[in-house]
Amino acid sequence: MGSKSIAHEVATNHDILRFGLDGIKGDIVGSHPLESLRETARRNLDEKKLLITDLTYGSAFNLKMDFDKQILSRFQRPPGMLPSSMLGFEALTGGLEDFGFEDYLNMPQDSESFRPPDMHNGMEVRLGLSKGPVCPSLF
Amino acid sequence: MKTIVFISTSRKFVVSPNERLISRLAVIVISRISKVATPVSSNLTVVCLGIAADRSASYQSLSISDMMEKAWVDAPLKGGFNFDLCRRNEMLSGKGIRLPGFRKTGTTIVGLIFEDGVILGADTRATEGPIVADKNCEKIHYMAPNIYCCGAGTAADTEAVTDMVSSQLQLHRYATGRESRVITALTLLKSHLFSYQGYVSAALVLGGVDVTGPHLHTVYPHGSTDTLPFATMGSGSLAAMAVFESKFKEGLSREEGIQIVCEAICSGIFNDLGSGSNVDVCVITKGKTEYLRNHQLPNPRTYISSRGYSFAKGHTEVLSTKIIPLKPKFEVAEGDVMEE
Repeated sequence: MGSKSIAHEVATNHDILRFGLDGIKGDIVGSHPLESLRETARRNLDEKKLLITDLTYGSAFNLKMDFDKQILSRFQRPPGMLPSSMLGFEALTGGLEDFGFEDYLNMPQDSESFRPPDMHNGMEVRLGLSKGPVCPSLF
Repeated sequence: MKTIVFISTSRKFVVSPNERLISRLAVIVISRISKVATPVSSNLTVVCLGIAADRSASYQSLSISDMMEKAWVDAPLKGGFNFDLCRRNEMLSGKGIRLPGFRKTGTTIVGLIFEDGVILGADTRATEGPIVADKNCEKIHYMAPNIYCCGAGTAADTEAVTDMVSSQLQLHRYATGRESRVITALTLLKSHLFSYQGYVSAALVLGGVDVTGPHLHTVYPHGSTDTLPFATMGSGSLAAMAVFESKFKEGLSREEGIQIVCEAICSGIFNDLGSGSNVDVCVITKGKTEYLRNHQLPNPRTYISSRGYSFAKGHTEVLSTKIIPLKPKFEVAEGDVMEE
């Protein structure tokens, strides 16, 4: 899902050049009217879809789909260079047929500050053998 | 240091906007003070995820539709627009620094319905403020084998939008195994443009022939659309519309249609400063599409030095050139290629 910004520690060592000005007001209201509009539009669309399936197939259908969604979204490859493309999840949500800016512009793995997670360490973190984070942060 | 903040966003109650604001503030405060990943979902569940990137997503997950959003938590992050620099730009312009403005664009694009299908037309000048950026660019974009789309406005936006929608149509054709319909392309275009509220500045003339017959639509940058028998767009739209309004009639033959489209585009080329160079035409009939690239060349280059052009010493020498085409280039159907 589209996040508002790259995750960063705001309180310590805030990098203004890369993350813009720090401000709690900006975190709440967003920095551009389009930003919040995109989020609410996506949410409203999802809610509308839920309502439609609820009315046509009954609430049990939604519950079942929600379960499926949660199961499919948890599917993961071992941490490493190639994350799962979530084929099953996208087939369920209908995302397979969508193609938008988020699929080819500003990809997180194309970022210059992206560091591929270490598979060994990532697996240890997932199994609870060692503490996170999986990927050492740059700052 | 320990800080406990209570947030009451039970799913059973309707969360008022005010309450949501407070709870959102509280989450930000928590994450700032504790400096740990604390996505807060509904019903006061605090889940700790090891993935640092999920933290920013958690800021928003405080609404009634939480259950749905929770399913997204493990999905990989996607790209898209980033609004990080808007705040900085706002501050800079507030302090009196003039930010660079937009370059003026100009185009003439037209389309009409004739007896067998649709004819689209476009000029080939890419305007960039006072500069002609490209004398022979392509403004008629491929959407589907039976649907083409002329684009006016920011060239990058029209290209990106038409490419994206054509990808979606292709995926839809794979899923259904049927020919795309023009109304599908129109809905995808207008919902995309409307959701970006006019910030994606693409004014389009969409034409195609599908199972229900020929269709012609205009799409405005804010997402409103028109369905018309003849349509014009761009800065030369008035000049082109003058020709259409005086000469268009129903049931035109193919030759008459191409003739009127060329006249309309030429009217834009000669009367509008933003449009110029050549005429591109695309004729779509049932089961057949003809892309007549550089159908007319009303502005040939008048002077070419017979001795050729020699460049002074110091210019970078080109040792070899290799061009890998990312998409198939349209061949000139008739006539000569315009000299660059």
